[in-house]
Amino acid sequence: MNDKERTTKEILTEKISAGERIPLYNPSALEILRKEFSGWMQSAVREKDRKDWFKTPRTVLGSDIPREMLYTPLSHPDFDYREDLGNSGQEPFTRGIHANMYRGREFTMRQLTGFGSPEDTNERIKFMLDHGATGLNILFDIPTIQMYDSDDPLSQGQVGMSGVCIDSVDDMALLFKDIRLDEITASIVTHYPSNTAILFPMFLALAEQRGIPWEKLRGSVQNDTSLEELIRSGAEFIAPRDCFRIQCDNIEFIRKNVPQWNFITLNGYNLREFGTSGITEMAVAVANGIATLAEMVRREYDVDSVADRLSFFWSPASDFFEEVARLRAVRRLWYKIMKHRFQAKNPRSMWMRCHVQTSGVSLVQQEPLNNVIRAAYHALSAVLGGAQSLHVDSYDEAYSVPTEEAALLSLRTQQILQEETGIIDVVDPLGGSYYIETLTSDIEKRILDEVDEIERAGGYVSAIESGQLHRKISAYFYNQQKEIEKGDIKIVAYNRYKSEAAPPPINVFRYPGGVEERQREKLARLRQSRDNKRVGVALAELKEACKKGINILPYSVACARVRCTEGELFKVFKEAFGLWKPPALW
Amino acid sequence: MAKKIKVLLAKLGLDVHNRGIITVAKELGDAGMEIVYIGNSLPREIVQTAIQEDVAVIGVSSLGGAHLTLGKPLIDVARQEQLTDSVVFVIGGVFPPDDTVRLKEIGFDAVFTPGSTRDEIVHTVQELVAKKTI
Repeated sequence: MNDKERTTKEILTEKISAGERIPLYNPSALEILRKEFSGWMQSAVREKDRKDWFKTPRTVLGSDIPREMLYTPLSHPDFDYREDLGNSGQEPFTRGIHANMYRGREFTMRQLTGFGSPEDTNERIKFMLDHGATGLNILFDIPTIQMYDSDDPLSQGQVGMSGVCIDSVDDMALLFKDIRLDEITASIVTHYPSNTAILFPMFLALAEQRGIPWEKLRGSVQNDTSLEELIRSGAEFIAPRDCFRIQCDNIEFIRKNVPQWNFITLNGYNLREFGTSGITEMAVAVANGIATLAEMVRREYDVDSVADRLSFFWSPASDFFEEVARLRAVRRLWYKIMKHRFQAKNPRSMWMRCHVQTSGVSLVQQEPLNNVIRAAYHALSAVLGGAQSLHVDSYDEAYSVPTEEAALLSLRTQQILQEETGIIDVVDPLGGSYYIETLTSDIEKRILDEVDEIERAGGYVSAIESGQLHRKISAYFYNQQKEIEKGDIKIVAYNRYKSEAAPPPINVFRYPGGVEERQREKLARLRQSRDNKRVGVALAELKEACKKGINILPYSVACARVRCTEGELFKVFKEAFGLWKPPALW
Repeated sequence: MAKKIKVLLAKLGLDVHNRGIITVAKELGDAGMEIVYIGNSLPREIVQTAIQEDVAVIGVSSLGGAHLTLGKPLIDVARQEQLTDSVVFVIGGVFPPDDTVRLKEIGFDAVFTPGSTRDEIVHTVQELVAKKTI
């Protein structure tokens, strides 16, 4: 039976044989422990605790994993250091993708910025860089994310809120004014494959204008089908398989032409924030990764030529040790998938490199300063889990886009972790903990089981098109809401220790005025001053490429160069592919 | 036998976040109401559909910051069409604390912020409908 007919779980189960393990613990020692354990249970442990030995923490966005009251070597008696952990930078990479981790490279503090007009965000970017931020993370406003121009009727009243508006390459130029594109790393949060194929070409066209070769650009885009098709509300959708095709076109083009750019950030974060467990979050992202690599192999690329730049994006939430353990679990699982399912040769292809953003949904409006504490714990768990870069949500997240002071405090949260706690001087400090190692293995199995479920449903794209994943997630968050309202999930000052005190005044961010009018004027001038004949040709050629099934990126770059607007490109996609209706969820 | 309360639910503008509105749609549906969900819509479309569907309640959701810039036009258009006397208007989402008051001033009958429970939402809607149909 060839590999194409077997699921990933079947392949891994077959290729990784239990017989090759060399358990670390001395069997005689374990035997003694076993005998003494029951004695200890009877004499030192209360009856109530013996009965409720396993307890499942009930947390926001939690999973259903029961925990023992105490973990010992008996919790994972066949622990094999070499098979299960390895050293850091060594297969299976459980302890970290690099030998030296943060000693060699501190975690990048990549806080999101984006609001108002490109000029407004340009100022905030400069503020963050001046105050020690080491990477840019640009978030667009909702009309831009949804691929409508700022003067589209659908965009009215929403321009420049919760992100920066970008309509064309001209706006990209204003956004990055006085910023050396070849000296910064920029995460350009393009979310969907479709808007990646629209916005990233504008960034590339800007680099060209400034005489910067694409080979010098470093950063990332999201480019994830889950974001476009699974977890958003939208006025118009193209079908998941068309979206996935664009996802792979983006990868193909960027891999070849912008070699230092991370072309996909497997999601992850937004999926979980939409409302699902940390297990499902990882299973869906991994399933997408598998489907993507399979498609790139089908397009006749060597897996090693693509996999070395895949990266992931996770949402650390409140179950502290689960968050640490699951980063380690997915790191080990991804290694196994790359090695045994895809036969990758290059170790870099086997690394689960990731950015994390602390969970926004886990923050509440009541007593907003409490969110500083919550986000700090989320951040700590991510660092102990070995994430490569971090965004810490600001305490006013539950109200609006962060004020400057709240954004600064988030940056300081990371800096204090890095500079004052000493935790970055030791790699994988929780490695070897009986709890962490047992939990890591448990979570790895659960993630793989859910990946298997998706593959048996026809694979990642099919599981979206059929509505299966939509329904799974909406059932989860509907249930979460009930648990929170019942008080089974406790949130301090919200449903537990409710405070009667008036909320302290916090400065809430107010969006700058006049953005929509200015964008409207800019667009009117742009449409008059550009060469509209060339615009027409470029858009027509893009449409042809969509229909012919060839890589659309060279054509969307050509559109960006002649100053096409975002809405114009999205219109081409809609016309070429037709519209899709996502499943109803109530 | 009381007529089923018919509720039109919509996302204001292009806002991407729909977990809340889906949850509310389920909760109201489970409470015996009839739900018409039109997804991302602009004020004029919301009002036209509400008239066509002859709803008792219009509920909109906004987490993207446009609750005032689109919420006010919605109430204004509704007033022009003389809907505000007979239809209940509710809004939910994420807003700065001061805006909750402003939304009421604009003309929303109820404002739901994160933390509103299923019972609060269902009972508030039922009570408001009862008041307006007298």
